[in-house]
Amino acid sequence: MPTTTNYGWTTPADTDLVKDGAAAIRTLGSSVDTTTKNLNPQTTTGAIAYRSATSNVNTSLAIGTAGQVLTVNSGATAPEWATPAVGGGLTLISTTNYTGGSAALTISSIPTTYKNIYVLWSGFYPSADTGSIFLRVNGDTASNYVRIGALGQQYSFATSFALNHWTVPTFSTNIAYRAVAWIQIPNYATTSTGKIIDSSFTTIFDAATSNNAGATESALYIGTSAITSISLNTGTGNWNGGVALLYGEN
Amino acid sequence: MERTKMTEPIIVAEHNIELDEYIIRDMTDEEIKQRKKDELESELKMQQFAEAAAKKAEAEAKLAALGLTADDLKALGLG
Repeated sequence: MPTTTNYGWTTPADTDLVKDGAAAIRTLGSSVDTTTKNLNPQTTTGAIAYRSATSNVNTSLAIGTAGQVLTVNSGATAPEWATPAVGGGLTLISTTNYTGGSAALTISSIPTTYKNIYVLWSGFYPSADTGSIFLRVNGDTASNYVRIGALGQQYSFATSFALNHWTVPTFSTNIAYRAVAWIQIPNYATTSTGKIIDSSFTTIFDAATSNNAGATESALYIGTSAITSISLNTGTGNWNGGVALLYGEN
Repeated sequence: MERTKMTEPIIVAEHNIELDEYIIRDMTDEEIKQRKKDELESELKMQQFAEAAAKKAEAEAKLAALGLTADDLKALGLG
């Protein structure tokens, strides 16, 4: 019996009797029906077909749920629907409103479930001019901080990440002139290495120009515990209010 | 009779974000020790800034007496 090239359907031979034609057509039709169904096994709306391990037999994959994307399974043997991992973007973890009158502001019990954390301190200023403000993590006052300067600059280890000269802003009643600090600590939850603390902040006093200015400074913190608290201490006087927004990023 | 001078307590404001609880407390003895060190460091830096500013003002006054400005020095490649 002859067969078709691709799917091997049986067809009548040239010498077959005409009287057997109906049966031959029925056999061929049945084969076509079976193959077509094997190639299109979907029975529900939105389902898609993919090749199975068996030649000419596809497998139906039902439609996923809203927002899912088509991906490859862990065994790399078949496609599947999966919810895409959430990446990028910042999650506001907490909002801290300080009412003032304290020399130290601390955010504690920071969850260690993010990759990076960011703190935006704003609207706060010291009640008196202060030569430095002191940023510490985990309440650590050991010599575990070293500022990182421009190429060639070296700093010895210190008991805090001391940020430069802060003054009472001339227009401290105007919230727009109060200090804003953006502090970022990548990989803050690691327990195997030190961490970089990056900061951008105003208002510091620039002795060279007698103007208030901003600065960007970084420090290496060599403690290996995950960072779960951040404190900002004045060198003189108290903080006057302010808000700290803590963000996490994955 | 001489009275002992009372010092203001030094306050720490802590926000425990897990409990969303604000704690206002006095500094511990250990924290006060560190605070005193911070104050000294801060004062030293203030002095350094003040000295630098005074030196700058003095230099500017000398320049002004010569009829020069900082821009003149820059023009000479000295600034």
